[in-house]
Amino acid sequence: MTQNVSVDDDMARDLLEEMLRIDIFEEETKERFGEGEIPGFVHLSGGHEGSHVGMGAAMRDDDWLAVGGARLIGQYIAKGVPLPDIMAELYGRVGGSNKGHGGQMHVSDIDRKLYGHAATIGSGQNPAVGLGLAEEMKGTDNVAVTTIGDGGTSRGSFHTALVFAAYWDLPVVFVIENNQWAISTPSESLSPDSLSDYGIPHNMPTESIDGSDVEEVYRAVSEAIERARNGEGPSVIESRVVRLVPHFEGDKETYRDEEEYEQLKEEKDPIGNYRERLLENDVVTEAEIEDMITNIESEVEEAVEFARESPEPEPEAAYDHVYRTPLYGQGE
Amino acid sequence: MTREITYVEAIAEAIDEELERDDDVILFGEDVEEFGGNFGETEGLYKKHGRDRVRNTPLSEIGIAGMALGAAVGGIRPVAELQFADFAATAGDEVFNQIPKQPYVSGGQIEAPLTIFAPSGAGIGAGAQHSQSVHSWLGNVPGWVVVTATTPYDAKGLFKSAIRDDNPVFFLPHKMLSETKGEVPDEEYTLPLGEAAVEEDGEDVTVVATQLMFHRAKEAAAEVDADVEIVNPRTFAPLDTETIAESVRKTGRLVVVDETVERYGTQGHIANEIVENDFFSLDAPPKTIGVKDIPIPLSPPLEQEALPSADRIADGIESLF
Ligand SMILES: Cc1ncc(C[n+]2csc(CCOP(=O)(O)OP(=O)(O)O)c2C)c(N)n1
Repeated sequence: MTQNVSVDDDMARDLLEEMLRIDIFEEETKERFGEGEIPGFVHLSGGHEGSHVGMGAAMRDDDWLAVGGARLIGQYIAKGVPLPDIMAELYGRVGGSNKGHGGQMHVSDIDRKLYGHAATIGSGQNPAVGLGLAEEMKGTDNVAVTTIGDGGTSRGSFHTALVFAAYWDLPVVFVIENNQWAISTPSESLSPDSLSDYGIPHNMPTESIDGSDVEEVYRAVSEAIERARNGEGPSVIESRVVRLVPHFEGDKETYRDEEEYEQLKEEKDPIGNYRERLLENDVVTEAEIEDMITNIESEVEEAVEFARESPEPEPEAAYDHVYRTPLYGQGE
Repeated sequence: MTREITYVEAIAEAIDEELERDDDVILFGEDVEEFGGNFGETEGLYKKHGRDRVRNTPLSEIGIAGMALGAAVGGIRPVAELQFADFAATAGDEVFNQIPKQPYVSGGQIEAPLTIFAPSGAGIGAGAQHSQSVHSWLGNVPGWVVVTATTPYDAKGLFKSAIRDDNPVFFLPHKMLSETKGEVPDEEYTLPLGEAAVEEDGEDVTVVATQLMFHRAKEAAAEVDADVEIVNPRTFAPLDTETIAESVRKTGRLVVVDETVERYGTQGHIANEIVENDFFSLDAPPKTIGVKDIPIPLSPPLEQEALPSADRIADGIESLF
């Protein structure tokens, strides 16, 4: 059965394009990591693209994003960080968003209100509450959106953030991207029927949605953001997605049932499904999609060129940014 | 003009003046509103500044510290209280991994001008989980500015600077000093962070000490047959090694007394700085004195056994001659 398209054509095309951008950027990241060009670990977002892009589209540029879970790069892209800044940061180069001090798990872009990620999973939610508080104190109607994986919801810090956000009715939207796995631990074994139920004791609006449907995520997150903007406080959304990639590059995924995995790829791939949907509804043509892909491929290629050409930091730069000096009261 | 006020009054004045001066400053923590803090350190502030600026929080140090970080990144200047310094550990990830590191990993984009303050130290029989001095824990994580106060004058001037500083600052008043009185100027003033103060001049030996240990070092100095110079580091991280080294170059002898445990405490680091860089100005090996390597026990005689006494400090000084 053909599913309708609930957003206007331009927006639908933008949503598809942004998902493709994540996918193509990450495929390239995987290659470059495989070739040994990118240090550290790499966690990819395959299967989460609809969730990331729907959420990004629901946010205004002035809303904060505090990234959680382990699927990061797609969220940085969805928040509008330029691809060269991200790629150069993955490479640990001077031209990266964080000048090579952060890497894959710490891309931040304060001008674009990307707080970044707390690499200890679940530690980004309380700062998000603080960001919401700061916006409220400043008298804006900006909100803070914060994501977390199913695994991260088991940490006390996550629950504390719900307590604090509810205590002052702060403009915070908690998005739980439940991809059913915390590395090899299944979320099925967690007690709530839906992980958004964790918001119930705090009397927050909660909703559990199909996060592989980009329009559904856009709708649900937009509604939650609207409530937050209107002073109606925090919400919790469970965005049910699938992880169509290993936990990190190199994970052999011995814990997964192959048949089930294949079936999920078939049924829950946000990009493939949306592409079909837009084609069936005559929103785009195959040729237009091919054009999009070609354009994105050259954007990504430029990002890689930029990263490769960007210098390695001078070793002395390791000492930068520990303290802002002079300390207060010391000679200027 | 000066007047005598207590150490906690000095703290409350510092917060009060900063709340008044800068709309971006807010105070939050457990029981900071009507209750006024366990030691009276936030008394009167809620009444004067109202609930937007002075906020009770639910009981969670993770929430307090984590929210302070986000609020600071979001452009306000939070002053957040933990009821006891020991609870830095209950917000372990925020205190050790998040706050001091986010500015660094962001490549300097993230500014986190927050102050966490928490009464530290032993002496009131509060037991092993309410009596620790944690500045060696914190000093171990580059990114925190770690500040202590020894007198009411210190407490007010350093706290105001902490609030105005653009770094995350952990400010550690000492509970045993809460009711001590001292002279504090009527006019507004601040004291520089990152600079040690030579509190007492002397020729024969340098004693480095802050907080309660400073006061005990003064007693010890009166007991011994030596002319003691006392240096109060005020800021433990970054440490003003130069002022200490200068003093040792003059006296040739060094005793470091601190309420952190002797095993991996601040004493070893301070002594090492001098041994490594100014070895030939030493006429005797440096002496380090700290809390015995035990948790702080409750019963007063046991607790006092754990802490450096004026006698232990005096013995330490004399052992260098
Ligand atoms: C506090 C903490 N514990 C453990 C880890 C190691 N770790 C990294 S990702 C991960 C699984 C995260 O699962 P989930 O929160 O569901 O996010 P997802 O990977 O599914 O996006 C673990 C255990 C960590 N980074 N931080």
